[in-house]
Amino acid sequence: MSTPLSKPQMIVHIQKSLNYTVFDSKWIPCSAKFVCMGNFARGTGVMQIYEVQRGDALLIKEVEKPKPIKCATFGATSIQQRHMCGLFLISYNDRWTSFGFFMTGHAFNEQDRCVCAGYDNGDIKLFDLRNMSVRWETNIKNGVCCVEFDRKDIDMNKLVATSLEGKFHVFDLRTQHPTKGFASVCEKAHKSTIWQVKHLPQNREIFMTAGGAGNLHLWKYEYPRQRCKKESNGVEVGVAGTVNLLQNVTVSTQPIASLDWNTDKRGLFLCSGFDQTVRVLIVTKLNLV
Amino acid sequence: MTSAREVSSLQGESTFTDRQRSLSSEVPVECLDYAYIEKCNDVKYLEKILRVLRSGDEGFYPHLIQFCEDHLEKLDPKNRALRKATPVATASSLSKDEWSQIVDELTTWQEETKHAETLLKQQPPCDDVMKEIPSIRNSNCSISLNKNSNTAERRKSSKRVIPRDYREWDKFDVENECKRIDGNMNHSQPAASKIKGISQIKTEVDTSLLTQQEKLVMANREKDKGNEAFRANDYEEAISYYSRSLSIIPTVAAYNNRAQAAIKLNQWQNAMTDCHSVLQLEPGNVKALLRRATIHKHMGQVQQAAKGLREVLKMEPHNVSATELLSEIEKECQPEQQKQGKKIIIQEVEEEKDENTEKKTEAFLVEPSQPVGGEERSAAPAERGNMGNAQKKPNGKGDLGQHNDSSSSHTKHPWSKGANADKYKVSTQESKEKVANGTNQRGSTASAHADQGSSGNQTQAGGTVNLDAPCGALPPPLARLKNEGNLLFKNGQFSDALEKYSQAIQGYNDSGIDSPDDLCVLYSNRAACYLKDGNSQECIQDCTKALELQPFSLKPLLRRAMAYDSLERYQKAYVDYKTVLQIDASVQAAHDSVNRITRVLIDQDGTEWREKLPEIPLVPLSAQQHRREEPPSADVLQARAEKAARDAERKAEVRFAALKQEGNDFVKKSQYQDAVGKYSECLKLKPEDCAIYTNRALCYLKLDMFNKAKQDCDAALKLEPTNKKAFYRRALANKGLKDYLASSSDLQEVLQLDPNVQEAEKELEEVTVLLRQSLANNSQGKPRKTVPITEVDDDDEEIPAVPDSADTYRSEEITINLHPSNSYEFGQSLNAAHSGGSTAVCADLLTFTAPENLPQYLSTQLDGLTLSFIVKVLDTHLLKKKPDLVYQHLNHLHKADRFSISMMLLDKDGRQHISHLFEHLLNTESTQFTQSDVQNLANKYI
Repeated sequence: MSTPLSKPQMIVHIQKSLNYTVFDSKWIPCSAKFVCMGNFARGTGVMQIYEVQRGDALLIKEVEKPKPIKCATFGATSIQQRHMCGLFLISYNDRWTSFGFFMTGHAFNEQDRCVCAGYDNGDIKLFDLRNMSVRWETNIKNGVCCVEFDRKDIDMNKLVATSLEGKFHVFDLRTQHPTKGFASVCEKAHKSTIWQVKHLPQNREIFMTAGGAGNLHLWKYEYPRQRCKKESNGVEVGVAGTVNLLQNVTVSTQPIASLDWNTDKRGLFLCSGFDQTVRVLIVTKLNLV
Repeated sequence: MTSAREVSSLQGESTFTDRQRSLSSEVPVECLDYAYIEKCNDVKYLEKILRVLRSGDEGFYPHLIQFCEDHLEKLDPKNRALRKATPVATASSLSKDEWSQIVDELTTWQEETKHAETLLKQQPPCDDVMKEIPSIRNSNCSISLNKNSNTAERRKSSKRVIPRDYREWDKFDVENECKRIDGNMNHSQPAASKIKGISQIKTEVDTSLLTQQEKLVMANREKDKGNEAFRANDYEEAISYYSRSLSIIPTVAAYNNRAQAAIKLNQWQNAMTDCHSVLQLEPGNVKALLRRATIHKHMGQVQQAAKGLREVLKMEPHNVSATELLSEIEKECQPEQQKQGKKIIIQEVEEEKDENTEKKTEAFLVEPSQPVGGEERSAAPAERGNMGNAQKKPNGKGDLGQHNDSSSSHTKHPWSKGANADKYKVSTQESKEKVANGTNQRGSTASAHADQGSSGNQTQAGGTVNLDAPCGALPPPLARLKNEGNLLFKNGQFSDALEKYSQAIQGYNDSGIDSPDDLCVLYSNRAACYLKDGNSQECIQDCTKALELQPFSLKPLLRRAMAYDSLERYQKAYVDYKTVLQIDASVQAAHDSVNRITRVLIDQDGTEWREKLPEIPLVPLSAQQHRREEPPSADVLQARAEKAARDAERKAEVRFAALKQEGNDFVKKSQYQDAVGKYSECLKLKPEDCAIYTNRALCYLKLDMFNKAKQDCDAALKLEPTNKKAFYRRALANKGLKDYLASSSDLQEVLQLDPNVQEAEKELEEVTVLLRQSLANNSQGKPRKTVPITEVDDDDEEIPAVPDSADTYRSEEITINLHPSNSYEFGQSLNAAHSGGSTAVCADLLTFTAPENLPQYLSTQLDGLTLSFIVKVLDTHLLKKKPDLVYQHLNHLHKADRFSISMMLLDKDGRQHISHLFEHLLNTESTQFTQSDVQNLANKYI
């Protein structure tokens, strides 16, 4: 961090202009391919598969659908099944109705299953699906754009929630105080809405936020020395850490609406925005952070 | 117009003054000054100054802005005011090296993923896997069973909750209710809910349904989770994730990391066992050795710690943490340490050194040792000829000039030329190349030293050692290097000698001389140096190389044996010692070691230790003692030619074996495509090996290339007309080609050759069915069931055994799977038995089911009817035959998820059955349980 050269650098590897509005882009697991989806100006939906080859993305498949395609996930597929394309597609009618209400899941095992939801009035609620109850709720004053757990397959650890006004909050979910809830740290990052937050698959402390002005910020969460402390009455309360900015770049003038890290190659990620462009970027020196 | 302009200018002015006022009210102009900023330590105020400066209202001063930013950064390096949006980095913003590195990494990643993807595609798609996963909806049979419980539920749900009457609100006592809620609150307030699932995290993962590849991915994933937890200082959690990873696939890294996490938690014993596991998997693992030393130190076993650390330092002399830890330990117990200066003793072998001198006198007595200058001159042109194509001409000229004018440094130049040549060559030799290049550069200066000091050395050695004495077919400079190495070795300067030998080997490779004997000697000598340095791994490598060049030469074998010995790989050491003794039975050291190792191995593996040994190679008669009998120098050239021919043959043999082994390994890893490649290479070397054909046929079968598989089987059968394996595989290939007739005749052939091959019988049955079907409706092809073919064995001469899992039961038209592997299959079988009312079938099912799996299998499918059915079966069928099993089942049955509910739903008959069962059980006598045990158990049921 001391010299600018030791900082991670973000480099655009591939930049591909598309002839439709792209809403979501995702890597296909265990391959150098990715899927882009969105809608054509004529109102139909489209899904394309590209393959990364020598600094260029080659279109290998295109499908047109009657309804625009909003987002997709490979979350429910095994490595083998993906070849049969276990892609779950969600078509949508109106983007703005779904805006401001984003959900994300957490499932560790049968004992523990939670879903977190953010609302456009700034509420964040953590639902316990096991007991069918609200386990925790808070308000971050601004409309919530995106919430993500740092890992989905471990015991709840951290939660990042981004807001319309360019702030994001990181909650430490390990210690829940009966009245104070979870400890959190807030950071003002962008001058515009933070559309997306995604954690690096290789390091859960590092995450990227994508802003409405086409900028990408790379952050690292540092734990405090003690993650929880005892209050005078013996009740444990969590202690929030700090967030450090590792790098920030501007790739576009339009909002970046989707972001996806590659799970196989550290630092490689895909982002697409409303400028009808999909980009493959690489972050260097992530192993040194 | 004019008025409009005036207005706009006025407006502009007013906004300007407004802003100026607002800012200047905070920051007076005097503050915008180098001296003031330098003195100012108020971060907030500096931010304001910076904002004013950047706004440009007071004028634009780039240098002052920069100065202010620098000062602010000094005070608060992470200040937000310093954050600037930067454009994306491009090639120009990075150094050339970095850029090319990034690009290289990306291309390699692309290739790797492509490769991995094709591999994934080759795997038979998920049919096998899908089969095992229970379907989401239950089977039809269960519906009839659940009817009763459904109605019971319905009955319950029919009790509607009637809304309270409004009048009830009149009776509502607000204060009381408030108090009650307050009381509840106080009561229910938890003492901070720590969300800790660590204790709940299962340390075992069920991977039975996964393919090898998925397991690998999963194990890595769990390990990464552990690493992340470790980084967050959550060691307990880290340990549980590492354990999960290990339960999937045990890896060195996960063991190592778990050891480290255990060390952090001061769980010394656990850490120790993990270190041992690592060292078992990989004996020379530096991290594990280091960690073991740390544990030893903390457990107070200082000597062992020190010993371990020395081992580490032998392998990695510059390991900082090892050095630090060692000095710490030594400080702690100086007096003890001096007494205990124990080392791993590497047994000395006599005449370690004289191999070279011996050789020299053997072969080159004829050639008199010439005066230095003359020899050099005669050698120089030849040398140049060798290097000519690899070297730029002008360079050569320059070198030649230097040769002529300085005779004192003559030996150096051809060598440094070698180094030059190295750079120009596109060499694909070995990974050592890089290192060698480095040493060469140093080598040129080092050899200059040696040259200057050589006269002194010679006088020291009493003038008996001639450094330029020729050696084998080595060109003089290399011979000189070798001799220097020998001298250094004799003087005990092993690492210097090692360098000389490395140079000589490098020079040899560059010069392109074809004299495997000499290279063998060089490798062997370098191995000796490594052995002395305690670097057993490298020693083994060099010995192996030497042995590839010259199979069954005594010294490399002996050295390798010692190296294995010191690495505690006793089995390999044993084999090598035994080979040594075959060559020359008079090597006392080998005898001693064999005896010692035999004892160790018996301790380790018990009486059957011999069976675990790798094969001891048979030494051909020609190699036995061959060096003693060889007539010195008579027809050296001819003998060498012969030897070269023999070598080539042996090399081919060795290569063949290696390729075959690689192929087999690939098969084991299910990388059939690669295996096919290896086997094909094998066949190029030796087209008449039957086993290779059958193995390749297996690979083709796995790859669904039935035609090729059939061809291979045909070839194998031509070579060996009674190879049942070939028949069996051809049958499978024929089956794949839907030629059932040929397939069945092949299978009959197999059964004729060996009637005990069950797989063939089974296959035959299946094929006959298929044959009939295909005859019946020629138009329709029935989807085939894939038949698992197990992997080839090491000796690859065994018909694979088909796992016996698909044992089915056919009676009274009920076909059930008697060996269910998950709850779904169990439920299916049980329901089938139940709906058919066949208690005998159910009894069989229960006999084959392990009692401890019962609760898991039953899980959510247990209801009153099933329970009473099971009890009935236990009572009527199993109690007499196997009372112990009944007890075990009962002992586990009550642990099932829905047991208590099922008990509630039990009807009268069911309860009677239970009490009958327990009465009977009480009357049975067994060694496994007592009456009180049964009584206790009965309390849980009745």
